[in-house]
Amino acid sequence: MSTVKELNISPVGRVEGDLDVKVYMENGVVTRAHTQAAMFRGFEKIMEGKDPQSGLIVTPRICGICGGSHLYCASSALDTAWQTKLSPNALLLRAIGQATETIQSIPRWFYAIFATDLANKKFANKPLYAEVVKRFAAYVGTSFQKGVTASGRPVEVYALFGGQWPHSSYMVPGGVMCAPTLKDITRAHAIMNFFRNDWLEPVWLGCSIERYLKIKSWDDLMAWVEENESQRNSDLGLFVRASMEFGLDKFGQGVGKFLAFGTYLHKDLYNTPTIEGRNQALISSSGFFDGTNYHTFDHFKVKEHVKHSWYADVPAEHPWKEPMPTPMQSQNLTDTNFDGKYSWSKAPRYDGYAAEAGPLSRVIMNANPNNLSHQIQDPLFGDIMAKMGPSVFTRTLARVHEAPRLYEMINQWLSEIRLDDEFYIKPEERDGMGFGATEAARGALAHWIEIKDGVIKNYQVMAPTTWNVGPNDEQKNPGPIEAALEGTEIEDPHDPVEVGMVARSFDSCLVCTVHAHDAKTNEQLAKFKL
Amino acid sequence: MANVLWLQGGACSGNTMSFLNAEEPTVVELITDFGVNILWHPSIGLEIGQQVEHLLHDILNGKVQMDILVYEGSIIQGPNGTGTMNYFCDRPMQDWVRELSAVAGYVVAIGDCATWGGIPAVAPNPSESTGMQFLKEQKGGFLGANYTSKGGLPVINIPGCPAHPDWISQILVAIATGRIGDVLIDEFHRPKTFFTDFVQTGCPNAISFAQKVDGGFGKRGGCLFYEVGCRGPMTRASCNRILWNRQSSKTRANHPCLGCTEPGFPHHDLKKGSVFKTLKYLGFLPQDVPTGHSRLGYYTRAGVEKVMGKMEKMLGVDQEHFETSK
Repeated sequence: MSTVKELNISPVGRVEGDLDVKVYMENGVVTRAHTQAAMFRGFEKIMEGKDPQSGLIVTPRICGICGGSHLYCASSALDTAWQTKLSPNALLLRAIGQATETIQSIPRWFYAIFATDLANKKFANKPLYAEVVKRFAAYVGTSFQKGVTASGRPVEVYALFGGQWPHSSYMVPGGVMCAPTLKDITRAHAIMNFFRNDWLEPVWLGCSIERYLKIKSWDDLMAWVEENESQRNSDLGLFVRASMEFGLDKFGQGVGKFLAFGTYLHKDLYNTPTIEGRNQALISSSGFFDGTNYHTFDHFKVKEHVKHSWYADVPAEHPWKEPMPTPMQSQNLTDTNFDGKYSWSKAPRYDGYAAEAGPLSRVIMNANPNNLSHQIQDPLFGDIMAKMGPSVFTRTLARVHEAPRLYEMINQWLSEIRLDDEFYIKPEERDGMGFGATEAARGALAHWIEIKDGVIKNYQVMAPTTWNVGPNDEQKNPGPIEAALEGTEIEDPHDPVEVGMVARSFDSCLVCTVHAHDAKTNEQLAKFKL
Repeated sequence: MANVLWLQGGACSGNTMSFLNAEEPTVVELITDFGVNILWHPSIGLEIGQQVEHLLHDILNGKVQMDILVYEGSIIQGPNGTGTMNYFCDRPMQDWVRELSAVAGYVVAIGDCATWGGIPAVAPNPSESTGMQFLKEQKGGFLGANYTSKGGLPVINIPGCPAHPDWISQILVAIATGRIGDVLIDEFHRPKTFFTDFVQTGCPNAISFAQKVDGGFGKRGGCLFYEVGCRGPMTRASCNRILWNRQSSKTRANHPCLGCTEPGFPHHDLKKGSVFKTLKYLGFLPQDVPTGHSRLGYYTRAGVEKVMGKMEKMLGVDQEHFETSK
């Protein structure tokens, strides 16, 4: 493995299932794009008629990368359906689980999935290319192994409270299973401290977390990069400089609408879980940003469309009213008619709009001037959106920007656990409707449940990838990745690395294959695994 | 030196994520220092689209030797046996797997989906999923009961949801370093070195199990077998001997063992009352008893223990062993 020849490839894809993208190009510009999710497992259908707590076991296994996030949703959905009580300790330990999974994903995603693209030969004529290859090349890059190995640390903390990562079910309606001891808490602090000293500060930031968190605007960030050699040459400093030099801020705009369900329910503000009380209790706020204005998140504004999905036609509906999906015959990409059904993904819409889910949406909500005093207040991405708008660069910067703050929050939450207090309050099981949501590392995730006669009647999961890779809706409006690809300039149609970078900037949890076609002749130019 | 091709079918990538948590060796060390040459992997492979397809053809026509085929995820056969619910490189994944298995030195199924169908295969099994050589406890699966690879072994099953990174990396290293002869497999094709002892081996609550002291969620100490459905005494895996993420295990974190290295997982097909509850006869006799016990024998012995414990408590015998501190 690992010679320079191999690094010339635009590779990488990643993770969980298959996604095909058909791209049409004209004069080197993408004119139309269709996304095709190419795998069906039917997890929602499996839960029909089963034990109401099945989601705690089944849904983390939808996605091995976001399993803790699915668990956060599954337990929350049951909390609202069963009208449980949650102790401060339970809310803290759930938030710690969610946050450790997300901070884990930052170096793992950045090094193993995203940054190897920067080593593509497309950028070989750029001055920073040699340094980028030295640092970020797959396997052999000086930061690659360091970053991938460091990514295993935060989930050690998850394992202390959940037993293992991935695939624990430790969050249950009424609280958590574990009752940590002093040694678990001190050990968790020590592991996080190691993560900071091993990677976060010396390799990633080149400065202290405290210094980094002083950045409030785009100009602050630029000043931070140039402040000293240590910051300039840190992996983050290099990423920012290379992104500007390579032009990553120039493509992959998307639909310009952003949706976050928010996460981290405050320990003292959600002790009686209700759907109505959720928005106010979030530490990382929810919302819908239409490009100009912020709107309060209301889950009733979510509807799923299946006109272009391989399921029996039903009108677009809110998940509580949606029937369990009935699969239809699928086709491979070559034989697909894109005027008809063409993906296993449904097309969710918020208030009728396709919306982007992900870290960028999350940090945009963090910049909402109306955020409450217990909520994250960080104006940086309000400024960046106003100055630069969405792009491959902004999306990626949003993802990595979260690491220092998550570190601080995890440490704070650990210190707030009261070992003498309750961790679990046994709930009374009952029939009802429930809604649970969170922010997975890669964006808004929600579960809707209906329990009837003591079993699951309906269970609907809407993943961030569903928001981002979904196909056209009933009105033929494209999904966010489809939209983000349109207008992208492709330098070499036989190696359309730009297409890969756009798709990867959304961190779709699918192995993507891009099939590039000439818009006029329909000749297939190239086919790529992303 | 061993060439490894890793494919994912009906997968969540959880086994890959687990594998990436590995240390001693890390995934990178496995490649650079242990002679494991990953021909391609959906998450960490460098080759792309057409190159992958070319690679698959080169393997099939003998130009590239594939010593190990690692398969993660279920084999999706739906609808109606066509496999078109899971396309890969423009063909149903099952067609690739059938052909590749015929030329593989060894086939290693990783995780419950690949070994026995896992959660996707739970009724009504909407994607018609099966494991490589088993469907639940039933031998056969996708490749058939009689399948053996070129190396002369049936599919080597490394179950778990997910599999522990050490189980994966150590089997790969064993094959790469010529120690395959030391890999003994049990009736479910699991390497005995990892799947002979029970999850209960090394569980800190084993003494509470022996003395019939109940545990429960949010509590310290006590055994989870009696009320919240722990399957530690009937699940073969080394979870409490080698630990997860170098720190803990489900039962150490007061999480009942789900029995995920046994082909029945998820046990009782998630039927009402089976999730985080111990299924019982007459409201107090556990339906599933520890492996190696008859129901009658277990109930009798456990009954004596339970009664004796209560009597001692009444008599004021100090039961210090069962208390644990913050």
